[in-house]
Amino acid sequence: MRASRNLWLGGLLTAVFSLAAVISFAWVPYDVTKLDIGAKLLSPSWAHPLGTDHFGRDILSMIMVGARTSIAVAIVAVGIGIVLGVPLGLAAAARKGSLMDEVIMRGNDLIFAFPSLLIAIMITAVFGASAVNAIIAIGIFNIPVFARLVRGAALSLWTRDYVLAARVSGKGPVRISAEHILPNVTNLLIVQGTIQFSLGILAEAALSYVGLGAQPPLPSWGRMLADAQTMFSFKPHLAIFPGLAILLTVLGLNLMGDGLRDLLDPRLRRAQR
Amino acid sequence: MSLLEIEGLDLAIHGTPILKDVSMQLEAGRILGIIGESGSGKSMTALAVMQLLPEGATARGTVRLNGHDMLALPEAKLCALRGNEVGMVFQEPMTALNPIQPIGRQVAETILVHESVSRREAMARAREALNRCELPEERFPMSRYPHELSGGQRQRVVIAMAIALRPKLLIADEPTTALDVTTQAEVLRLLKRLVQEDGMGLMLITHDLAVVSDMADEIVIMREGEIVEAGPCPGIFSTMSHPYSLGLLEASDHQPERSAATAEAPLLEVREVIRDYPLPRRALWGERDHFRAVDGVSFEIRRGESLGLVGESGCGKSTLTRAILGLEAVQGGEILLGGAPVFSGKRPNRAVRRKMHVVFQDPYGSFNPRWKVGPLVAEPFHLMDTPPYGEARDAAISEALESVGLSAEDAEKYIHEFSGGQRQRIAIARALIIKPELIILDEAVSALDVSIRAQILDLLADLGKRFGLTFLFISHDLSVVRNVTDRCMVMKSGRIVEEGETAEIFEAPQHDYTKELIAAVPQLPEARRA
Repeated sequence: MRASRNLWLGGLLTAVFSLAAVISFAWVPYDVTKLDIGAKLLSPSWAHPLGTDHFGRDILSMIMVGARTSIAVAIVAVGIGIVLGVPLGLAAAARKGSLMDEVIMRGNDLIFAFPSLLIAIMITAVFGASAVNAIIAIGIFNIPVFARLVRGAALSLWTRDYVLAARVSGKGPVRISAEHILPNVTNLLIVQGTIQFSLGILAEAALSYVGLGAQPPLPSWGRMLADAQTMFSFKPHLAIFPGLAILLTVLGLNLMGDGLRDLLDPRLRRAQR
Repeated sequence: MSLLEIEGLDLAIHGTPILKDVSMQLEAGRILGIIGESGSGKSMTALAVMQLLPEGATARGTVRLNGHDMLALPEAKLCALRGNEVGMVFQEPMTALNPIQPIGRQVAETILVHESVSRREAMARAREALNRCELPEERFPMSRYPHELSGGQRQRVVIAMAIALRPKLLIADEPTTALDVTTQAEVLRLLKRLVQEDGMGLMLITHDLAVVSDMADEIVIMREGEIVEAGPCPGIFSTMSHPYSLGLLEASDHQPERSAATAEAPLLEVREVIRDYPLPRRALWGERDHFRAVDGVSFEIRRGESLGLVGESGCGKSTLTRAILGLEAVQGGEILLGGAPVFSGKRPNRAVRRKMHVVFQDPYGSFNPRWKVGPLVAEPFHLMDTPPYGEARDAAISEALESVGLSAEDAEKYIHEFSGGQRQRIAIARALIIKPELIILDEAVSALDVSIRAQILDLLADLGKRFGLTFLFISHDLSVVRNVTDRCMVMKSGRIVEEGETAEIFEAPQHDYTKELIAAVPQLPEARRA
């Protein structure tokens, strides 16, 4: 097993942004809650490597703290998807064709049928704009993704002889799902989790862009873009740096997901050579 | 000049030697049988002829096909030769065809790749190739899709693709291994006829000595990349001298020593069992049809007996196995083990299920790849009310592993560290650990090499003696059933058509289907018995 170039590049990009988020807890170049009107709208310089915004806040510090928000929202949202979606998928596969299978899968279809961002906007509009509500909204849309993935993979695993042997040994569907099915779908979960993670970051940026994500004074990449919109023509750096942060993180996670898939999926391993 | 000449062929993949000094010849219109077990290099020899070697392979020596030096030709020339002068038939007809293309187009495709003819003409020639492979137009129009055909019919399509351009050499790599005996006999007859009609050379690769002994003009026996014995057939069977080939010959008709201690009391009683599967509704409110997979089957196995159940794919033997194991409820009749029902009410009966276990066919699919051998073997403990734990559990695992000829340390290894034969031993250890009375062997030796199969059969016979086990031996392979069972049943379309003492059934079959099955089994020539 050899890690591909994609995996290295993706892992590196992801590591850089994760590191920035972690460092921001201990140290940032400038306090992001302090305004310094005298230093507003500065172009990149040695004092402010990425420049300052219209309140004189340091963009580098804001991106570092914003990474924190993005990553936290994405982790919890993917977590919701896995914690609720995986058991649902396992249950549907264990009782294939039953009423429970139908209810679970049609419920998934229902969630899939709505444009995710629209519902997220609705949820945040009804329950108030906050990071927590954004997490819940994004998380709900991760549930059917994982449920479907797990059901599909589990269905083929249920036909294996070792599952039959476990049934002969008197094990019930819950036990077989936990002992035999789940360990054999973890590879898929890791890969899909990485991809959903990047989609979560994008969704968080989109929600905070329309003002429905994390609220000020907590910086977020999406709102930085929104704030930069009116000044884009004469201060492009305001939009370019947060935009690049989103782009590179999402790209990194996607590359990592692809690389992990190549590494973990034995069916692709041969074709890769 | 011979059609195919291989001389002193050495092959190494990433420096690991695969073939050592392999030489053979094949004349036009003749059949060359290459025999060997897995890892013997027989398939690699075929791939070397086609120059379809895996990456990192380096070949030395000469491979001369119809005057072309195959090792020296550039890739473009090789592409022109493949399919045109050499055709190939693989083992698995399920995966050799494209599932989303009709069969006519797939056969025509080979013609279009090699010759600049119109699509209409290619289709006409494809039709002709299919006809020659006994797929007549009335029953098999070109618009059929692979999923509408049976395994044997698909293999005929694959053969039609291979012979559409009338190649000079046809390579068939285990062409009948995945097929039922009667289908196997038909496909072998077809291959033989095509060889005679077209005067092409056939390289028939197989692990089964009996298959080639009926067909081949010359036989080559390979082991670990080397040729151990070669000669004309059937003469070779009386002149064979290498211990490996003699061992192979013995193993392919191996008769394990068994004790004949059977009690009168029945252990398993199956009475008028019916198993229906619902078919999809034709109309929304229409009546639901049923497919009767097992239709009023009754039999019993006496304690200590070994009973064979023979039938071809789709006859209902697997469905019956599942019903006996208590995995599925039956729609009629009853199944009793030791006098108690396997399935009581809506739930399988744990106390009864404890008395039996099963060994499956596929040594590779029978184990969760993420578990170590110890927990895998200990899995049936789940059926016990008070399963042993701690040291008692480890001791039981060691005992089970040692009783099948493995060591206690193997419990700490993962399943991928074992070969197919060793895995089947582990599967037997798993079945033995709860000390059952009945072991169901569902094609348990069908996927194994003959010499390994002989070892496993010996092991089963030995275990039967030591633990007083009763066996239900389910197989499509009559030669295995013949050597290891006391009584035997033949199943067709969900019914038992014949039942009796194994020796009697094989010597004087009563039912037409049994006669057909027995006649279809390839036989080794008598010479070897001397």
